[in-house]
Amino acid sequence: MIFHPAIIALCVASLFICLMIAYSAYYGIKIVKGWDIKSGSEQQLVLERRTYLISAILTYVFGFYLISLFLYVFTVDRLHIVFTGAMCAAGVLKVNSYGYPTLLLKIMIFIFAGLWLIVNYADNRAYDYPIIKTKYLLLLILTPLVITEMILQAGYFLQMHPNIITSCCGSLFSEGKSSLTSELASLPVVPMEVAFYLSMLLTVYLGISFHRKGEKGYLFSVTVAIAFLISLVSIISFISVYYYELPTHHCPFCILQKEYGYIGYFLYVALLGGAVSGMGVGVLMPFRNIESLTGIIPSTQRKLALIAVVFFLIFTALVTYRIVFSNLVLVS
Amino acid sequence: MITLANVRKIFNQARPNEYTAVDGVSLQLEEHDVTVFKGPSGSGKTTLLSLVGCMARPTSGRIHLLGREITSLPERFLTEIRRKTFGFIFQQFHLIKGISVLDNVMLPAYPCGERLSVLKERALHLLDLFNVSQKAHTRVEWLSGGEAQRVAIARALINGPSIIIADEPTAHLDSMHSHELVEILRGLKNDRKTILIASHDPIIYDSDIVDKVVHLRDGKVDEGDTGPRTRGHLQLLKGR
Ligand SMILES: Nc1ncnc2c1ncn2[C@@H]1O[C@H](COP(=O)(O)OP(=O)(O)OP(=O)(O)O)[C@@H](O)[C@H]1O
Ligand SMILES: [Mg+2]
Repeated sequence: MIFHPAIIALCVASLFICLMIAYSAYYGIKIVKGWDIKSGSEQQLVLERRTYLISAILTYVFGFYLISLFLYVFTVDRLHIVFTGAMCAAGVLKVNSYGYPTLLLKIMIFIFAGLWLIVNYADNRAYDYPIIKTKYLLLLILTPLVITEMILQAGYFLQMHPNIITSCCGSLFSEGKSSLTSELASLPVVPMEVAFYLSMLLTVYLGISFHRKGEKGYLFSVTVAIAFLISLVSIISFISVYYYELPTHHCPFCILQKEYGYIGYFLYVALLGGAVSGMGVGVLMPFRNIESLTGIIPSTQRKLALIAVVFFLIFTALVTYRIVFSNLVLVS
Repeated sequence: MITLANVRKIFNQARPNEYTAVDGVSLQLEEHDVTVFKGPSGSGKTTLLSLVGCMARPTSGRIHLLGREITSLPERFLTEIRRKTFGFIFQQFHLIKGISVLDNVMLPAYPCGERLSVLKERALHLLDLFNVSQKAHTRVEWLSGGEAQRVAIARALINGPSIIIADEPTAHLDSMHSHELVEILRGLKNDRKTILIASHDPIIYDSDIVDKVVHLRDGKVDEGDTGPRTRGHLQLLKGR
């Protein structure tokens, strides 16, 4: 274990998050089992009051979670000086088998937590707790993920020995090997660029038309999810290459470094923000006809669609700017 | 219609000083009626009114107000209901010292974001109605008890509530001012307001404007003494 302030902060924060989520999940079970708005029983009235506390706790917990993903990546990136062979977060994540699973889980929880907050926002605006059971059922699914993530993260930091020799991102994300990462790196550039711009175009088009007319919410959401995945692949396939101006360097982590103006953080924030708000539109779809939500969900969805469009436009603009002004020419 | 179903309020629950102030009250109160809650000190009148007025939540039981269940409502909606549906008149008036009579009356309407000139006109009209308009710019601490009560009533009416809740409104008034208050309440009743009063003052509960008296004892409705009370019934009693 390496005693770095950020590592201790991450571990302690994870522990707190788990405790608070466990507390909330305890009431979540009670709500899923015993909630009955028609009853005036003491137990029901206690639960009704308790939901405010739980909702406030979870807003903070998930709010912190959104930050923790970036703190994790930032910390790991800073640690590359400690390990022989590592040049950025890519190599440091590879020092033991917990690094990448923790990152993946953090991203998944980030998206899930963001969507949960959107559902919670809608539910809290109605007068009769219309989706409370669904909301807490989702929380009960999320709870084991969060606990697993804490354990994986602890395992990652505990088993981190400074004398480990790791590989550098150059070899992890290079073309012509038989791992998933190198296959992503070897994808042909032109079809990837076409797929990327088509998915962005479709997302923006559907988003704006949803914002105007409130139609095709599911389609928009699915498109956002696909566009999100295509963008992640594109970062490895060609976007990173334009930033590094090196045709063989495909690392998705080096762009987080100072040499590249920390541009990676902007790219990933825009991408994740767009994904969560765009998918939020679809997550709210099944509830839009509930009587007490008819005046709330459509306007929330329109706002979300607009936010998603803005995020994806920022992402596309950053990428396009770089492609146009990069000294590297991949496609002539 | 206001319906209470098995409403209980326990203070300091699960502590040594636990106290059941309202104990399983079920009631139906009609709109546009004047209802008086009567009972010895500590019988739970104030507590019951605060539950109906959305100022406190019951420990168990439900309250339906004009077709809507209010005990499960999130706080945000309660604020709105308190502001728009209820006008509160308190025993100690609770006027805010240091500002003028007019400001006191306009205060509950500020969050509604109305034009100030419109609001001012309405406030002055209410003060005029209760014969205190000449005091509009006086500070409230200079008012006499009767004037203070009338200002408090004007304030309760500023947002045009449909239900007036008055807790011991005559406690600090002499009998002349109490009779005057009854006349004001009569005017409000004629305006089709629903009026709920907690009082052990005979000037109030024996008055002919009262449609129903609910007798409370130890937090329970004392059935023996409760019942609809019509004007005719009252006049019959008076005639004897
Ligand atoms: N916040 C509180 N905490 C603890 N006990 C309380 C609280 N409010 C009221 N009580 C108790 O509940 C009982 C009922 O009080 P309440 O004020 O409703 O009586 P009341 O009928 O209005 O009496 P009065 O005629 O004297 O105004 C009293 O014994 C009081 O001490
Ligand atoms: Mg009282």
